[in-house]
Amino acid sequence: MSEPIDLGLGLMDHQLLDKDGRRCGNVDDLAIEGGPGGPAEVVAILVGPDVWRDRAGWIGRVAAWVARGGRVRIPWSEVAEVGPHVQLKKTAQEYGLGRGDDRLRPYIEKIPGSHR
Amino acid sequence: MNKIFGVALGILAAIGGFVDIGDLVFNVAAGATFGYQLLWVVVIGVIGIITYSEMCGRVAAVSQKAVFDAVRERVGFKAGLITLVAAEIVNAMTLTAEIGGVAICLQLLSGLPYRLLIVLAAIALAVVVWVLNFDWIERIFGYGGLCLLVFAVAAVKLHPDWGAVGHGFVPHVDTGNKLLFAYFGIGLLGAAMTPYEVYFYSSGSVEEGWTPKDLGLNRLNAIVGYSLGGFLSFALMIVGGALFLGKGIEPTTLGTIASGAQIPLGETGLILALVGILFAVAGASIDTLFSGAYDLAQFCGWEWGRHKSPAGAPRFTLTWIVLLVLGMLAVMTGVDAVKLTEFAVIFSVVALPLTYLPILLVANDKAYMKNHANGRLANVLGILYLVIILIVSLTAIPLMILTNLGQQ
Repeated sequence: MSEPIDLGLGLMDHQLLDKDGRRCGNVDDLAIEGGPGGPAEVVAILVGPDVWRDRAGWIGRVAAWVARGGRVRIPWSEVAEVGPHVQLKKTAQEYGLGRGDDRLRPYIEKIPGSHR
Repeated sequence: MNKIFGVALGILAAIGGFVDIGDLVFNVAAGATFGYQLLWVVVIGVIGIITYSEMCGRVAAVSQKAVFDAVRERVGFKAGLITLVAAEIVNAMTLTAEIGGVAICLQLLSGLPYRLLIVLAAIALAVVVWVLNFDWIERIFGYGGLCLLVFAVAAVKLHPDWGAVGHGFVPHVDTGNKLLFAYFGIGLLGAAMTPYEVYFYSSGSVEEGWTPKDLGLNRLNAIVGYSLGGFLSFALMIVGGALFLGKGIEPTTLGTIASGAQIPLGETGLILALVGILFAVAGASIDTLFSGAYDLAQFCGWEWGRHKSPAGAPRFTLTWIVLLVLGMLAVMTGVDAVKLTEFAVIFSVVALPLTYLPILLVANDKAYMKNHANGRLANVLGILYLVIILIVSLTAIPLMILTNLGQQ
């Protein structure tokens, strides 16, 4: 990573893609370690509706409650590239991302023509 | 040659696809109330939608970001979520109005019971979206919507006072009832600049895999497609003015609007008008259906795409199915589609700044856009329209109440 990234505009809330280009969540928050006096470092990306709880007051809590999702922590070392989207090194399944789509798929597939 | 042919076909489809129930209702009603005086407002609306669609398409081509990706990244989670909720509410209202419009057209054409036709319409829409590939959907509804050109023929046949028509294109306010004039002006702007159009357009551009090489095509699509679509709006208003102005007739039903083609052109005119309206509102139902699903999926980071098979984007698919069922149930309550259209357009005006501001910000962001960031023209127009939209969004609801939905 040689180019500096603006964490607020260049990383937060960006689309995550897995190694096959599948959309598998957004950067819902960042885990940053280190504090005053030392260098601060992004150590992980946090993904999932549970993260919203801490982000936007009661609006975030309501949204998290409605969406009922979990929280996934992706270590920063798993990030392959930060461009317009954030590309990960492995497949979504390996991180436990995109589970909502995976769970719903078998039901959709029961309807004829779902693979046109 | 093939490419030119493809572009021409795309533009034809865009003409038919531009007009939805909001344009039908507001243009004919504005004509019936103020004659040709508000034509200039349609021009302003069309330039606005061209400006912002071009920006969205450019952002999509350069950064592969659709509108709701940009919204969340630029204004953050909280403001983004509020924008999403507003967009979904307006979208659901619009969808309901369009489905109601489909059922009304089917009823006028077939004479079968309205409620039965609502269910049939929803089933037909679901099957079409499920089975057909999107290029075909676009073509079928776009070309079917071209039947609306019958209103252009009707406008000429009605021998309007062309001097007055020409004067209508010159910005002016010449009425004792300025509030009502402003209400219709806002409605016309809202109908031309409906937010679902930009969600749909930008998501489509991402799906088509546009790159900076397609920027010329983007500009051409936006300018030519929407301008020609604007012509249909002019025709509708001229017909409304020539037929209904001063007659005490308020075009409060789609049947009255279709009679605008029947009176000068007879039975054939009526059928063409109804078929045109049917395809236009059915196409718009599909567009709003997808827009609602795009917005939610992009905000949440789910897989999405109308070019994907239903199983390729499961939550996106479930979202549009749920929206369709909700829309169908809402129409079943017997709500008046034309009244609901007015509400939908006015509320969409209120939500417009939330959608357009992030687009303007992203289109100016050199980090994404590099040398394709907004030039001076796009920024002058973009900021001008943002100011117009802000004023309009603040006054929309007060005007709706003061004029009693234009009934005053």
